[in-house]
Amino acid sequence: MVELQNVSVTYSGGVDALNNVSLKINDGDFAFVVGSSGAGKSTMIKLLLKEIDATSGNVIVNGYNLSKLKKRKIPEFRRTLGFVFQDFRLIPSMTVYENIAFVLRVLDAPLKYIRKRVPYVISLVGLHAKTNSYPDELSGGEKQRVAIARALVNDPQLIIADEPTGNIDPELSYEIVELLKGINDQGTTILMVTHEHDLVRHFGGRIINITNGEIVYDEIVTGTNSEILPEVELAQAMENAARPRHEYAMPVDTAEENTPYVDDVIAAIQGTVTQKGGADK
Amino acid sequence: MKISGIKYLANQGIENIWKNKMMAFATFCVLLISLLLVGCSVLFYINMNSMILGLGNQNEVAVYIEADTPQERVDEIGEQLKTMENISTVTYISKKEAYERMQNQILQGKEIFEYIDDYQFMPDGFSITVADNEKLRDTVDAITRIEDVQSADSSPQVAEFLRELRRVVTLIAGAAIIALAAVSMIMISNTTKASVFARREEIQIMKYVGATNTFIRTPFFVEGLVTGFFSGAGAYFITWAIYRSVYDILMAQGMLMNAFGAGSIVPFADIRLYCGLAYLLVGSLVGAFGSVVSTRKHLDV
Ligand SMILES: Nc1ncnc2c1ncn2[C@@H]1O[C@H](COP(=O)(O)OP(=O)(O)O)[C@@H](O)[C@H]1O
Ligand SMILES: [Mg+2]
Repeated sequence: MVELQNVSVTYSGGVDALNNVSLKINDGDFAFVVGSSGAGKSTMIKLLLKEIDATSGNVIVNGYNLSKLKKRKIPEFRRTLGFVFQDFRLIPSMTVYENIAFVLRVLDAPLKYIRKRVPYVISLVGLHAKTNSYPDELSGGEKQRVAIARALVNDPQLIIADEPTGNIDPELSYEIVELLKGINDQGTTILMVTHEHDLVRHFGGRIINITNGEIVYDEIVTGTNSEILPEVELAQAMENAARPRHEYAMPVDTAEENTPYVDDVIAAIQGTVTQKGGADK
Repeated sequence: MKISGIKYLANQGIENIWKNKMMAFATFCVLLISLLLVGCSVLFYINMNSMILGLGNQNEVAVYIEADTPQERVDEIGEQLKTMENISTVTYISKKEAYERMQNQILQGKEIFEYIDDYQFMPDGFSITVADNEKLRDTVDAITRIEDVQSADSSPQVAEFLRELRRVVTLIAGAAIIALAAVSMIMISNTTKASVFARREEIQIMKYVGATNTFIRTPFFVEGLVTGFFSGAGAYFITWAIYRSVYDILMAQGMLMNAFGAGSIVPFADIRLYCGLAYLLVGSLVGAFGSVVSTRKHLDV
């Protein structure tokens, strides 16, 4: 569970990145956070990871009140969540296996468990063949799937993803989100920041829009492709992710230009609400 | 933490050396050079000190007995001298020898000996050497107090000069060693900082997945420890080679060098153990803590 209570963040330079933001994301939710560049999305993510502290207000994540969390308790708190970043953040000197196993090493998990669990999550993201590859030997999409496997491996309550599709081919983005959706179906709360409107429109769900450090929109929207999603089992989604991309990665409305402006996005999303259940083109 | 966990972290440390070969090699070299600079300075100082002390011990004290003292009494005094503290050798000097010595010692006005050609007027005497030159004055005083001893002459100027020399050498060497150690610390700290900086993202990722500082630092500690240990070993072997050849060269000069106290140079065998242990210990500790301390800045995420 994620809760922000009247949270404001002012950076040392005087930039008000978040302004009196209140927000609650319940267990098992899937929420998209959208907004133009500089709106304060990453600032919110940094708050949730306790990379920075709120200037005022309370941040509660997985039952930890981060404003009051002691420094030495931070590792313990961070083990309750997984993260996925735009720039993957894999350790270059470690193989795919080691990158993922590392999380369990940190937890001091039994070796036997690590040897079973890591190959399992690797197969979930469809990277079995790349188990012993180094990050440099992977494509962007593959790297991000490793990052997702890593976020997944300790079975966290919450996965936080900041622009996870930002550095990979747009068509591959759908696989990544499907993967996250599949994980969400298993009960993990997911908070995903993106500015790719097509994605949001396609999948639907809870959409939170941040503009100039304030939440200007927070609604549950049915995705244009939503009717097929509940049927997609985790394993199915994982399998899909491993398949050739064009099959599942169909942009809903390719004719519409990606505009960075919030109003357009909201309009587009709301447009899809009215044609709920609209067929894929 | 389980045994397997500790083993894992230690292994990570060793693996990191291979994975970051270039940085590890740079650290190794910097540590090696630092250890050599400081180590050789210390050894140089130890030998200078030993040589000065050796020269001091060659500084004889001439003990003269009152004229007309019976031979038995002279022998008795000789025995007494041998039992005294801080006296290492006692050599009897006959009147004739004393006369010759006198001739040699008096450089100016040698003409005087043309008038004196009888050594019978010379007193009996002893030439003694002391164990600790620093206590020379006390020893001389004690000898003078013995009955029938006319005088005990050390050359206090020589002793004083040597004492002063030793002080200056200690001061210079101490300053040099401290300066070298300081420069070394800066070099080492910069190298380990660069090495850790190259892996700052790795550290940050580890922090994100909830690794404790100890967990992150342990491999760095092991890495520094092992690298430092090898630097220490390398420094030892290089020092050994240099020391042996310098020692051999000096010894080959024989008499000439002896005049400068080269006879007091410490053979490597006498210091091998201390030298080796000091190198390994200092190398390992500086390596390990240098590496750990450098992570500190990057752990705050
Ligand atoms: N470390 C920082 N110091 C000062 N200002 C910052 C810092 N990080 C972000 N900002 C500013 O805060 C605002 C929000 O940034 P950010 O949260 O990164 O936006 P987003 O992720 O939505 O693009 C921007 O104006 C940005 O310039
Ligand atoms: Mg951002």
